[in-house]
Amino acid sequence: MRGAHGGSLQTAGLVAPAFFAVAVFLYLPIAASGLLAVLDYHPATRAFSYAGLANIEAVWRDPAFRVAAWNTLVYCLVLVPAQVVVPLLLALGLREIAGSRLAPVYYACLFAPTLVSFSVAGAVWLPLLNPINGVLNEMLIAIGLPPSRWHTDARAALWVVCVVTFWKTFGLNLVLWYAALMTIPREQIEAARIDGAGFFRRVRDIDIPLASPTAFFILVTTVFTTLDDIVGIIDVLTGGGPFERTTNLPYLLWQKGLVFFQFGQASVVALVTIAIVALLTFVQFRFVERRVTYA
Amino acid sequence: MKTLPLTRRSLLAGLAAGVAAPAILRAEAVRASDARIVISSNFGPETAFQAVVDAFNAKELGVEAVNQFDGNYEEATAKTLAAISAGRPPALMTTGWKFGYYAKRTLGARDLREIDADAAEALIANFVPSVHPLVTVDDALVGVPWAMSTPITFINMEHWRAAGLEETIPETIDTDWLYERARALDAALGGGAHPTFRSALSLSNNEWTSQSYVQNAGGAVIDETGTVGLDRPESIAGMELFCAPAHEGLWIPVGSREQDAAFVSGALSIVTTSSTRVIAYPQSAPFEVATTRFPGVPGRERRMNSGGNFLGVYAQDAEQAQAAMRFLEFCASREGQELWSGVGYLNSSIHEIPPVTPLIAAAQAQLADGLTAETIWPGTRGFEAQNAWRNWVSRMLERVDPIPEAMARAQDEITALVSA
Repeated sequence: MRGAHGGSLQTAGLVAPAFFAVAVFLYLPIAASGLLAVLDYHPATRAFSYAGLANIEAVWRDPAFRVAAWNTLVYCLVLVPAQVVVPLLLALGLREIAGSRLAPVYYACLFAPTLVSFSVAGAVWLPLLNPINGVLNEMLIAIGLPPSRWHTDARAALWVVCVVTFWKTFGLNLVLWYAALMTIPREQIEAARIDGAGFFRRVRDIDIPLASPTAFFILVTTVFTTLDDIVGIIDVLTGGGPFERTTNLPYLLWQKGLVFFQFGQASVVALVTIAIVALLTFVQFRFVERRVTYA
Repeated sequence: MKTLPLTRRSLLAGLAAGVAAPAILRAEAVRASDARIVISSNFGPETAFQAVVDAFNAKELGVEAVNQFDGNYEEATAKTLAAISAGRPPALMTTGWKFGYYAKRTLGARDLREIDADAAEALIANFVPSVHPLVTVDDALVGVPWAMSTPITFINMEHWRAAGLEETIPETIDTDWLYERARALDAALGGGAHPTFRSALSLSNNEWTSQSYVQNAGGAVIDETGTVGLDRPESIAGMELFCAPAHEGLWIPVGSREQDAAFVSGALSIVTTSSTRVIAYPQSAPFEVATTRFPGVPGRERRMNSGGNFLGVYAQDAEQAQAAMRFLEFCASREGQELWSGVGYLNSSIHEIPPVTPLIAAAQAQLADGLTAETIWPGTRGFEAQNAWRNWVSRMLERVDPIPEAMARAQDEITALVSA
């Protein structure tokens, strides 16, 4: 018979790899960022000195930081609702035609952009958006509309990044919504229909509550995606331009760290980003999760 | 057919053989050459640079060179920095001219004379004297001049003829001449009059061609004394000339990828860009391409700039550094230069090498006129200074700020960055 001590050891052994991975690849880098933020360090010379609050002050005064922070907020405000609501509407539509011959075709077409990487998604759109003779401008000209400069226009570039990001990412949320909706018993929906509940009433009172665990998962992961993965599209499509109008905090982090080699300032941006993610996650779990109905 | 039964013993033997085979093959490869050097480069496996590496390896001089494609100058520099901090620097790196100070002062590019003084002198003697200053940083010979380009003018001759413009393009042009013809092209072919024409002109929205305009107008981005000269009247006049066609609607400022795609598809009539396009443009474009010098500024002496990279040695290990010198000797030789000329760079060596295409003549003529370096961004924040200048160029093209005001603000920002 195995004793209590043996059981604890076994538990510790099972937990250890995960604990080790999180400690080494998550908490240690955060701690290192905290240290680098107060150091003047360069990896080539390996020279470092205590910088105090100089890096924090430099980042705070940097107009590029303020632009990146503002853009990060705009990306979240535009993309998070769009990537939650539009895939839900599409999934509801797909459920209505479930079983028809066209359903798999729609399903495949809508999910296909998700399969490409973020940088490839950006590259795919470049010839379409070429302001001189891109496909989209040729279409606009053909119907008598003026051409646009799209991602090279300082006023439009951020919205173009939003559109391309949405195109690339909404498919995953669509699959998640669709899977959740398909688990809802048809009898409940039919009963509501017979009782006179319209489409939107059924969605509000039956679909969303029963799919709320998936909705919560989609919300949390979409915030992460919007904050982080969008960098690949920004890099390929605009390079952060025109004149930094499309940067966000992770892009600025990469630029300061691996283009400008200002590791102290990059660490400050990293800590700010971590703080934002932590705060958003806390808010989501504290205020949104209580509305989730777990079966 | 006789088959072997799959037993635990045979499975283990097979696995052991599989694991051991690469190690045995690697040992053979190592025995075949005494030293193996890694070259961090901006050129992939299907390029003239790879041909140079392959030809060097074929000579079996006791050094095996490996071409490691690391992306553009910025990406390669970042990767080399990471490699240096990990204690495993590449033996050589194709380093952008513009990062010369950074290479020497921060990345620790070696003075070739410190590695082998006689070999270094013999190496640099293979190149024309006018390019020697480009590889001299802080009195050190930091590498071998390698890729040399300069911005020139490319013309779509099908558009040109359709607009009724003169058949013979002058060898030297100025902005008055160029803009007048851009207007003529726009008037003749715009508004749907030509099936593919969409825009007359593109001068390249970057820090390089804008530097050409500033210098040709008598100004400087950063002058020989290291002083930022953007607030000088000549520099402001140069930028006003540079932005004029964009403000007039003759030029739609886009990135280099969009610009190249538009030109080779016949949507763009005139492009000023790197002379290295003398290979790619005619290969991709279904029309005749002509070249001429970059436009000068009327009434001002031309003062064109170069671009490209040098091959710097970063190996700190003595054997690796010596092996790198052997590779550089091959690069500087007539054979190495002949192979390298296929990529479309200027011949800056003393070897007589036939031009790869007649289109290179405009660039070669600019080299003969004399080229300054492209802006070499000093200081530990030089990369930020380059980025700041790019942003200011874009802002001026977009008319976000009046040009004199933008140049004054650029002066302050860049001065602070390069003196940090």
